[in-house]
Amino acid sequence: MPQNADNVLDHFELFRGPEYQQMLANKKKMFENPRDPAEVERIREWAKTPEYKEKNFAREALTVNPAKACQPLGAVFVAVGFEHTIPFVHGSQGCVAYYRSHLSRHFKEPSSCVSSSMTEDAAVFGGLNNMIDGLANTYNMYKPKMIAVSTTCMAEVIGDDLNAFIKTAKEKGSVPQEYDVPFAHTPAFVGSHVTGYDNAIKGVLEHFWDGKAGTAPKLVREPNEKINFIGGFDGYTVGNLREVKRIFGLMGVDYTILGDNSEVFDTPTDGEFRMYDGGTTLEEAANAVHAKATISMQEYCTEKTLPFIANHGQEVVAFNHPVGVKGTDEFLMAIARISGKEIPEELAKERGRLVDAIADSNAHIHGKKFAIYGDPDLCLGLASFLLELGAEPTHVLATNGNQKWADKVQKLFDSSPFGQNCNVYPGRDLWHMRSLLFTEPVDFLIGNTYGKYLERDTGTPLIRIGFPVFDRHHHHRRPVWGYQGGMNVLITILDKIFDTIDQNTIVPAKTDYSFDIIR
Amino acid sequence: MSSVSATIQQVFNEPGCAKNQNKSEAEKKKGCTKQLQPGGAAGGCAFDGAKIALQPLTDVAHLVHGPIACEGNSWDNRGARSSGSQIWRTGFTTDINETDVVFGGEKRLFKSIKEIIEKYNPPAVFVYQTCVPAMIGDDIDAVCKAAKEKFGTPVIPINSPGFVGPKNLGNKLAGEAILEHVIGTEEPEYTTPYDINIIGEYNLSGELWQVKPLLDELGIRILACISGDGRYKDVASSHRAKAAMMVCSKAMINVARKMEERYDIPFFEGSFYGIQDSSDSLREIARMLIERGADPELMDRTEALIEREEAKAWAAIAKFKDRFKDKKVLLITGGVKSWSVVAALQEAGLELVGTSVKKSTKEDKERIKELMGQDAHMIDDMTPREMYKMLKDAKADIMLSGGRSQFIALKAAMPWLDINQERHHAYMGYIGMVKLVEEIDKALYNPIWEQVRKPAPWDNPANNWQNRAIAQMEAEAAALAADPVAAEKARRAKKICNCKSVDLGTIEDAITAHSLTTVEGVKTHTNASGGCGACSGRIEDIFEALGVAEPAPADPVLAEAARRAKKVCNCKSVTVGTIEDAVAAGASNLAEVTARTEAGSGCGKCGERIEDMLDELVAPLGTPAALVAAE
Repeated sequence: MPQNADNVLDHFELFRGPEYQQMLANKKKMFENPRDPAEVERIREWAKTPEYKEKNFAREALTVNPAKACQPLGAVFVAVGFEHTIPFVHGSQGCVAYYRSHLSRHFKEPSSCVSSSMTEDAAVFGGLNNMIDGLANTYNMYKPKMIAVSTTCMAEVIGDDLNAFIKTAKEKGSVPQEYDVPFAHTPAFVGSHVTGYDNAIKGVLEHFWDGKAGTAPKLVREPNEKINFIGGFDGYTVGNLREVKRIFGLMGVDYTILGDNSEVFDTPTDGEFRMYDGGTTLEEAANAVHAKATISMQEYCTEKTLPFIANHGQEVVAFNHPVGVKGTDEFLMAIARISGKEIPEELAKERGRLVDAIADSNAHIHGKKFAIYGDPDLCLGLASFLLELGAEPTHVLATNGNQKWADKVQKLFDSSPFGQNCNVYPGRDLWHMRSLLFTEPVDFLIGNTYGKYLERDTGTPLIRIGFPVFDRHHHHRRPVWGYQGGMNVLITILDKIFDTIDQNTIVPAKTDYSFDIIR
Repeated sequence: MSSVSATIQQVFNEPGCAKNQNKSEAEKKKGCTKQLQPGGAAGGCAFDGAKIALQPLTDVAHLVHGPIACEGNSWDNRGARSSGSQIWRTGFTTDINETDVVFGGEKRLFKSIKEIIEKYNPPAVFVYQTCVPAMIGDDIDAVCKAAKEKFGTPVIPINSPGFVGPKNLGNKLAGEAILEHVIGTEEPEYTTPYDINIIGEYNLSGELWQVKPLLDELGIRILACISGDGRYKDVASSHRAKAAMMVCSKAMINVARKMEERYDIPFFEGSFYGIQDSSDSLREIARMLIERGADPELMDRTEALIEREEAKAWAAIAKFKDRFKDKKVLLITGGVKSWSVVAALQEAGLELVGTSVKKSTKEDKERIKELMGQDAHMIDDMTPREMYKMLKDAKADIMLSGGRSQFIALKAAMPWLDINQERHHAYMGYIGMVKLVEEIDKALYNPIWEQVRKPAPWDNPANNWQNRAIAQMEAEAAALAADPVAAEKARRAKKICNCKSVDLGTIEDAITAHSLTTVEGVKTHTNASGGCGACSGRIEDIFEALGVAEPAPADPVLAEAARRAKKVCNCKSVTVGTIEDAVAAGASNLAEVTARTEAGSGCGKCGERIEDMLDELVAPLGTPAALVAAE
């Protein structure tokens, strides 16, 4: 027996033993109606052909391996960015478990979030009772300062009216009348997690600025010198927001980060459990209405939020997840222009260092082809950085990207000679990407953890940048914004390039004549 | 240490080295390379030089005898390539400790050699001496000898501890070590009339492999490459080669020359950098082999191969013409090597707008003018701000340079491509030039360079250091233009000799006061050029500027003797007089002059000069002009 109590093998080893191998082979032979291996191989090869690609791209209904998540995930991500706030998802509890595990697996942190646990009767009669009980229980059990409500599909399909439900719940005494319960409708059958981010942050601001659902007077804007900052849905939120705060600090800018979840997704292990940590205070969220301007780092995460803010009389500026020299230049210039502050020498030096680092390594990246997939803004930021490096973002794909986004990516391609042979794929999935990687191969693939299947199937080395990254730890602690962040992305890309060179030269007495110490 | 110092003296007297031969006795004693300036940034030491010269021998165990510093910092740090054994990359060191320093490290060395032989059984062990064991008196020669006797494996002492001098000296000492202990100690399995040695080639980035197939195709065998991708046995039996090519670096000239002296292997100095140079080198190899008995049809095959390869390379390079249209290149590599790539760059359509002449000789400067026209910018000892202005004015699109110049490029915000040793691409042979052009193309079109040139968007360009420096320079120039006294003062204050801090005025005064005509004279009176000697070229320029004629001794007999004593062939030490006499005795072409005087049979570089002399001497009248003059 390969398995015994004295030496228990785990799954890495156990099923490789001869008994199991034999068993699996028998099972396949006798019960699984095996196909001729040659035929399997033929199909496998056929799936790599342009002919197959054409059929693949002709797919109308089916999505295979989507590179996007659902709205409430984005809403939960927003909610935990406010002081002592618990995300409350009105709908079925299974969905909520998903958001929690998704965020936990990426950030390696506990993720607190509650649901109204709707069941079949609620689906039939409406979820009002679940809302009433849910808010009451949440308020009593977790003592939050605010409960931010969003919805799953279940509640949306039956048309639960959050505004009315929350009002009723308050009347029934679930939570005090003046208690803050902002809300956003976030059906998963519309948009993706970036849409949910947009709706949720708009919901919070609307709540504070526009009279708390009719329970308080609307705020009157008295412009001050502050700048609001919205990061958008961002797997690097811990590192990025800290970096952004450092930059603002260096410049002496007075700022409010809306939805600052950089603390709650990175709590220390010191003997204290922090269900809530850090976050934008409710007072700050309310006072954000007076700010001079609001800057969004991700246009497609704030498509509705920014116009809402603009309507309150602020200047709004949107970026597309800026990465690299040019992106950061534009970001800093905007901050400097709006705040009237100078960009300090410290940042100028960081800029010089990034330019220096790129110049030092450009020969290794120059002309390399990359496929990128991810959220629309991240794709734009990375593609722009690659063009800056002299690389070609050959395929840029976003399952949650629309035609407007695609036009913007195309415009970016058109701005650089390195973008000439590049294509953008809005609304496509990772199975489309698989075909692309076979028919128009690239040197490297940039994407989230799910890209590892593509790496395995197509042999394209995967550079993990995106969300979620489940199978590598702590990437979220490093910024990708600012010049330092650009440096991190550069290093991540270079590491993979050099690892690949090493892999290609590692066979002793065969290829190791180029297995070099100095690269 | 006496044997080391004797070897060093021998290396300094190397007759094959033109530079050495032109030096005074006093200068020669100081050595063949630039003396180190205490307090200055320095390059590698003699140990490093010896190690990099021999490390590419791939099947040898290279054992560094010394504290961890020496091997620890140099282990596997060169991009040489091996087609076989990888043992050369294993870091072997005795890693001596404090006890060894007190009681001597010889025992540890002996045991280390023993363990290498027991565990790895290499064809040879090379033992490198370093400063510490040399200072405490470890006799590595004796240890190596004892080890060799005891274990029967060649154990070669490489006596080149760091303190004896710089890297270049170490290269030569390494050469001496293999001359003494390796070359000629074994016999090849067979020989052919097509056997050559390649000396001073290290197969960096596998460059040699871009040339070897061509030699293979011609049926020419590299009996030994010293030392790139070399094998111990090949080097040990390399004395049976028919001819040798010394790759243009002078690092191993002593090996080439002594092999000629001892084993009658003629050599030429050639290069595979550049298309023309590759062709010339292939031709020369064929010519020498034919001279040594190979079938003359070899030349036809060589010509055919050259024609084919050149056509291929030019065609590949021509493709870049469109992309390189109006692109300007600045070349900062110093030395002669760069010339071999100039033709390729020009063929690719690049315009050369400037070059550095810091390490170039007068002839080099002439060649620059020839190739690039009179207005070529020559960058010689410029201050960074002058450099910046020059680069800005030259409006170069890219700078090709050795690693050390990269900082200039960075200051001038200039795209930059490294074409020296720390690179990762092989530029040798016909393919290599195409590769170089490809890399230039990449560098030219990489978007980061545009970024490098641009100031940060929030910068006020009028206020950056470059523009401030230029404004200051212009202001200073304007002030001087308005004030001739100050201008003269500034002109005279220009430092000529950096080592001894001698300015132009002092030298001019000395020249006028003592009617000096030679650099030597200036040195006696001002001490200028008494340091590294690099400024002697500048002092010559001063003579030229002052209109001081060539030294013209009053005595015509002495003058004639001086004229006749001038060396034409440095390798064989043949003077003008000897050649003139040979011509007078009937030699009427280069071959005959060589036959009679040996002139031109070394590196062959003086062939052109001899031809010039022949043109002059074998006058149309049929009367040797020299005779007429002598009468």
